[in-house]
Amino acid sequence: MDTITVKNLTKTYETYKRGSGFTETVKSFFHREKVTVNAVNNVSFNVGEGEIVGILGPNGAGKSTTIKMLTGTLYPSSGEISVMGYTPHKDRTAYVNNIGAVFGQKSQLVWDIPPIDSFNMNKVIYSISDKDFKQTLDKLTELFDLKDIVGKPTRVLSLGERMKCEFIMAMLHKPKIVFLDEPTIGLDVIAKQRIREFIKEMNALGTTFILTTHDLEDVEQLAQKVIIINHGQKVFDDTLQNLQLNLGAKKIVHLVLTSPIYDNKIDGVKVIEKKSDFEYTLEVDLENKSISTFIQSLTEMCEFSDISIKELPMEKIITQIYESRV
Amino acid sequence: MINKYLQIYKECIKVSFATASTYRVNFLLSNFILLVSNILFPLVTVMIYGSGASFPNWSFYEVLLIQAIFTMSAGLAQILFNGVLWATMRYVIDGSLEIVLIKPVDSLFYLIASTISLESLGLLLGGGIMFILAIVNVGAITLLMWLQFIVLFLSGLLVMMGTSLIMAATSFKWVGNSRIPEIFDSINTFGKYPQSIFNKATSSFTAFVIPVAMVGYFPAAALLGKVNLSMYVAIIPCILFTMIGILLYKHMIHLYEGVGG
Repeated sequence: MDTITVKNLTKTYETYKRGSGFTETVKSFFHREKVTVNAVNNVSFNVGEGEIVGILGPNGAGKSTTIKMLTGTLYPSSGEISVMGYTPHKDRTAYVNNIGAVFGQKSQLVWDIPPIDSFNMNKVIYSISDKDFKQTLDKLTELFDLKDIVGKPTRVLSLGERMKCEFIMAMLHKPKIVFLDEPTIGLDVIAKQRIREFIKEMNALGTTFILTTHDLEDVEQLAQKVIIINHGQKVFDDTLQNLQLNLGAKKIVHLVLTSPIYDNKIDGVKVIEKKSDFEYTLEVDLENKSISTFIQSLTEMCEFSDISIKELPMEKIITQIYESRV
Repeated sequence: MINKYLQIYKECIKVSFATASTYRVNFLLSNFILLVSNILFPLVTVMIYGSGASFPNWSFYEVLLIQAIFTMSAGLAQILFNGVLWATMRYVIDGSLEIVLIKPVDSLFYLIASTISLESLGLLLGGGIMFILAIVNVGAITLLMWLQFIVLFLSGLLVMMGTSLIMAATSFKWVGNSRIPEIFDSINTFGKYPQSIFNKATSSFTAFVIPVAMVGYFPAAALLGKVNLSMYVAIIPCILFTMIGILLYKHMIHLYEGVGG
């Protein structure tokens, strides 16, 4: 069952074109040219209950604008949004009671006081009972191993600890849907992993997550579905598996030879990188050649001491989508 | 619902106090400086009266009373409402108003509550000391006069609130302009002196258009037995002024577009 339905969502805004350099700056002081920006252009998608959906896109693609409109904090220029039956920007106060949000670059914690005081503020704002508050807080602090941390002033916490506290802030009122705008930005690998595990655990309990990210590991480990936005337009909306097949079924083969070869042409195989006469990285198109046929041809052609076969890296798939569409 | 909002306000006061006590020296020092500078604020009035000159038909303590009430009103406004201006400027520049809009409460209320600033207690205290000094020297004050004073003083606070909200609302469009308060400060100055020293156009403007006379002069007039009907009529523009501030601010929140991620 779909919990989020977005139809023809558009957000345009006007800004001014400002030149660079002294002359342009002086000119723009007297006359500024208006520019209309289509931040989000006619985007439609659905999200099912209990899904984790990753919204990907390069900088300025419209991901954050989309998520802000989904949270009801930004008015769309046109189009329809329905989340759990609410129109976010129209029913904002009632709607946000049912959602949580973590903005990776904007903190909800009060800088000079301990996170526990900020949590207490949310307890009152969301009218959480003493019993529920204690239960949820105990569970979340235990999951994040933050029991001794929440009493220290926020400003002395590490970025990872602060981000975990941001998650607690967003989850205290047990929201049904949580929006995450770049939740792992700037974190070290351990903190990232802990947060990903937390998202998985909460998702297993039924919480729907929508996340924007630049970290493809987030998507690979978490998202069941991927939406790619570029220049404000949706260019991909499908499962992670289908995203990996988007450029065709291909494999990357790393090969170390025992002796150099000079006639190295095999149909359906492209040399991506030649590090030396002994070391190659190849791309095998499985539509033209199966892996077993490729290995057979390779064995007939040369001797090798090492071989590894991998999936096409996600970076490559995404980069190709960013560059090829729109 | 009202109970929930009162609880939030109480929690915000706690947070404000906790924040202030984090930097104790800064908190004490800024309050002390505000206290001293405001006790010195009526120095010009002292010098005018000390040199034998005066505002016609106004004694030194009567003028001091106007200025004391103005200072108390400004102090209360800084504690209760002015934080919203600086917070709005910061949120608009950073594009981080989302962290307010994501709360299931009235955004304007939450902004006002979460920006309570106890660092201006010195201003209120300074005004209070001047007020006591003036009040013991201006003659007997009846209960009715006190009641009139409270009504007019609260109306003056509405003007201060409206001023803060209008200034804050303009910062949505006039991004990062920290000079906005200076314009209003200049207009507010008219509320610190007896209206009888201004020409008719100016006193009408400060009573009915931007009713800053309600901040200091009108409540003082109530305590001095100089109240008249036009002062009560001026309550209407005070309410309108606040309503304009609230509606304008809410409208600007609607227009808020954030910044790209």
